[in-house]
Amino acid sequence: MAYKFEKVSVLLVEDNQPMLELAKSLLLTFGIETVHTARNGEEGFQVYCKENPDIVVADWMMKPTDGISLARKIRNDSMSPNQFVPIILMTGFSERRRVVEARDAGITEFLVKPFNARDLYRRISQIIEHPRKFVRAEGFFGPDRRRKRMSDYDGQLKRETDVRDDDFLVDMIEKDRRGASNNSETN
Amino acid sequence: MSEDTHYNQPKRRDVEFINPPNTLKQKVGSGGLSDEILEKAQDLLENNTVDFQPLGEMYLNALMSGVELAKGSDGEQDAEYVIASMLYPTMQLKANGGMFHYPLITQISDKLIQFLEVINEPDLEAIEIVIAFHATIRAVIHGKITGTGGAHGKELLKALNDACVRYFERK
Repeated sequence: MAYKFEKVSVLLVEDNQPMLELAKSLLLTFGIETVHTARNGEEGFQVYCKENPDIVVADWMMKPTDGISLARKIRNDSMSPNQFVPIILMTGFSERRRVVEARDAGITEFLVKPFNARDLYRRISQIIEHPRKFVRAEGFFGPDRRRKRMSDYDGQLKRETDVRDDDFLVDMIEKDRRGASNNSETN
Repeated sequence: MSEDTHYNQPKRRDVEFINPPNTLKQKVGSGGLSDEILEKAQDLLENNTVDFQPLGEMYLNALMSGVELAKGSDGEQDAEYVIASMLYPTMQLKANGGMFHYPLITQISDKLIQFLEVINEPDLEAIEIVIAFHATIRAVIHGKITGTGGAHGKELLKALNDACVRYFERK
């Protein structure tokens, strides 16, 4: 028995064409048959409203509208067809303040580039198997920003400024760090 | 404050927790993906034939524009804005280098991000360091040094890291 991804639709928002094609190919290889694409947050929101996909995967840095602004619109705009949709944010940033900024915009998962196929799959699996509650509070609407630590990793982080506490997405960031360091050693 | 008033205070936080229906789980069912599919996806990633050079050049040019802005700002521009103009293209180099067979560029750019994230202002010494990073990344792209560059890659990283350390020792 395996996931029936053919019923799932994804909106992929990325302004870098080679990266867009690469990420789309990965999603198609996973068995996701419907991948809508857009080149920036503004276009992404239009496609989002039209197609109402099950998952949004967006890059952070895009012009004129970035992935963070797109996430805020999806969570808070009255035109948004589903304010609860899982949003995976792709970015080269992994510093604490960047993760916190993304968290506060209402993103669900954080995917640090460069990533491998399993990293992307883990984020998707996470939102399927461990969906988070949503919180509506003054000044914030989005997935619960707290998450219990699940990683068995207890070693050193690459940097002092990288996130490490029982907060949001920490285990994922740590796994990214470990993956990147393993890749470096094998390359 | 008496015990009574302690318990009778108005609610200070108005937080609503919502459990949205997990429609995604209902659609996909259980079982995950097989190792075979994940390996196929990884092969696709590792064997992509994208030429990183045009992309790398684009981000390097953006980085150099940031350097030029920093050189000409004379403190007139907001320091955060000037640093961001160098930081964002560097982040793109870090993100995309490793995706397209240049993990050494990811490592070098990561060092530059660490540097740019913590400097107070883009002074002349900082700009010189950014230019050194820029030259090194350009050399890696032009030299088509895919992979981590082995011992030479480690030497380059160490030299750049040492330059950053010296900068902070002088501050």
